[in-house]
Amino acid sequence: MSRKQSYLAVIWIALITVAAGTLLITLANASPIEAYQMFFRGIFGNITNFCEVFVKATPLILTGLGCAVAFKTGFFNIGAEGQFYMGAVAATSVALGLTGVPGPLRILLAMAAGFICGGLWALIAAVFKARFGISEIIVTIMLNYIAINFVGIAVRTFLMDPAGSVPQSARIGSEAAFKLLMPPTRLNMGFIIAIAAVILVWVLMEKTTAGYELKVVGSNRRGAKCMGISVMKNTILSAFLSGGLAGMAGVIEILGIQKKLLEGISSDCGYTAVLVALLASNHPIGVFFSAVGLAAMQVGANSMQRQMGVPSAIVNILVGMVVLLVLGKRIFQFKSKKKA
Amino acid sequence: MLEQIFTISFLTAFLTAAVRMAVPLIYAGLGETFLERTGILNIGMEGVMLGGALFSFAGALLSGSLAVGLVCGMLGGLAVSAIHGFLCINLSQNQSVSGIALNIFMLGLTSFLYKILTAGQSYQDIETIPTMAIPVLSSIPLVGNAFFNQDILTYLVYLLVILAVFFYRKTGAGLAFTAVGEHPRAADAAGIPVYKYQWIAIAVNGVLGGMGGACLVLVQLGKFTENMISGRGYIALAAVILGRYTPLGMFGAALIFGGANALQIRLQTLGVPLPTQALAMLPYVITLIALLGSVGKSGEPEALGTPYVRGSR
Repeated sequence: MSRKQSYLAVIWIALITVAAGTLLITLANASPIEAYQMFFRGIFGNITNFCEVFVKATPLILTGLGCAVAFKTGFFNIGAEGQFYMGAVAATSVALGLTGVPGPLRILLAMAAGFICGGLWALIAAVFKARFGISEIIVTIMLNYIAINFVGIAVRTFLMDPAGSVPQSARIGSEAAFKLLMPPTRLNMGFIIAIAAVILVWVLMEKTTAGYELKVVGSNRRGAKCMGISVMKNTILSAFLSGGLAGMAGVIEILGIQKKLLEGISSDCGYTAVLVALLASNHPIGVFFSAVGLAAMQVGANSMQRQMGVPSAIVNILVGMVVLLVLGKRIFQFKSKKKA
Repeated sequence: MLEQIFTISFLTAFLTAAVRMAVPLIYAGLGETFLERTGILNIGMEGVMLGGALFSFAGALLSGSLAVGLVCGMLGGLAVSAIHGFLCINLSQNQSVSGIALNIFMLGLTSFLYKILTAGQSYQDIETIPTMAIPVLSSIPLVGNAFFNQDILTYLVYLLVILAVFFYRKTGAGLAFTAVGEHPRAADAAGIPVYKYQWIAIAVNGVLGGMGGACLVLVQLGKFTENMISGRGYIALAAVILGRYTPLGMFGAALIFGGANALQIRLQTLGVPLPTQALAMLPYVITLIALLGSVGKSGEPEALGTPYVRGSR
């Protein structure tokens, strides 16, 4: 597909998405113009909402980066959801368990634990794949559900708040939680970590030999073997890194936002991550922008729902549709050829 | 505790619940088996089932007829699968991405349409399909009530499983469908129309997946709720793997998963102090262990997940 054609495809996709959005809003008995006003006011209206976009983007950036790294190595990690939760459980355990350790050090330990646990969770699938040739797609999906149920068990047994009867952990003290960057808003240290991760992954993938080897394994396994690049080592490395990044998203959700472990805190970002990576063509910088874009849509749609009662399910419809259209963008190429 | 469990009435109730829980999984699993045998993975089964559930509910609610509801559910599932088919067969796109996008898309779409459908009224019910006992068989102790005192859709799924077993073991077409998933190029060279067969499989996948979702609405709940499939599509995928991609194996696996689910509910009513999540994660753990145990003989179609591009090398 030539450059001009892909621009044309992007324009088509944008037009169809806006048209579909307008149609859905009309179906929900609201005025599209007013609804779009609410949508943009929800995003840019005040500083709190605007920062909320980046708060919501943070877990998507990290899980999306994780998926992008894995996909580039040909490891199809659909398990960001599970890795996110393993990271969250690890971070909560450390933050609540090591009360003797001073705050900043405990945060660092929690981050390390979350990264490692997320990474190890992905590693299971990598070992299944590299050692036994079992499809990682299926294994990571199974691991997601095991992790989700594991969180359910954790908040009812060993991590349950002894003072309460609700399935959630005790609250993490403010000394072991992330500092807020702009106090009235929820923007916290986590966003800085996400940006640092984007830069680090970009440097790794584009500027180092290790990143080059990962990409070779992804694009041509046989070629990699012939060049003496170990497919097994690189699959395992990329899985660990990918799971670790998703685990870090879980850590940030716990230490930066929730301050305690709950069920359902990922809001499915592990699955959305796959779409984030696809929209970014697995490029780290692209991941940042597609994650922020999706987060902005979510924030805007929430405002539409609050102000006008338009169901925020619209976001899922439009996001799913955009990805399906991107996958099917060849149909636009066909059309533009016919016209020319 | 144990004497409470090992009574005829408890076991009968448990087995009946297990079969009920398994039926939607069997429908979806059968559709997925059919599709995966031709080399296409549909992670979007969750979305297919959601489509079937919503459209069967809407059809039954608006027309007042359960039969119309069932047909609507089949068409709803078919529409979702057809998108997957177009992207994966005609455009050779990544099957996992397409499946996940479909799941998210359908989750949004069904929630949205349901809100519009029931605007104003918060709670709407439809009649459910009644059970009808099969005269002699249903009086077999223990299993009779579980398997033969169910509804018509359950009996239909037994028939479909038997037909599918016969299809793959005894017919040339069954062999051809398997060949497409094992080695599409060889199948193509042998004169099997690969794309056509994959499209047929997509249609079967959509219709059966839609019926799986419809089953939940028309037989079991009588209503639609947001995200009502809640992971059953993924369990169906697991059942296909555990069943080693054969209809009969999948049937058994779905019964085990249905059983785990039913056991969880029964034990809870008995007040067993075990988090329900421990049993809820069982199907996935069993599947992972089974995958490890079946290394090298999992029966996975050779070309599963790889798009077939005619004429490429």
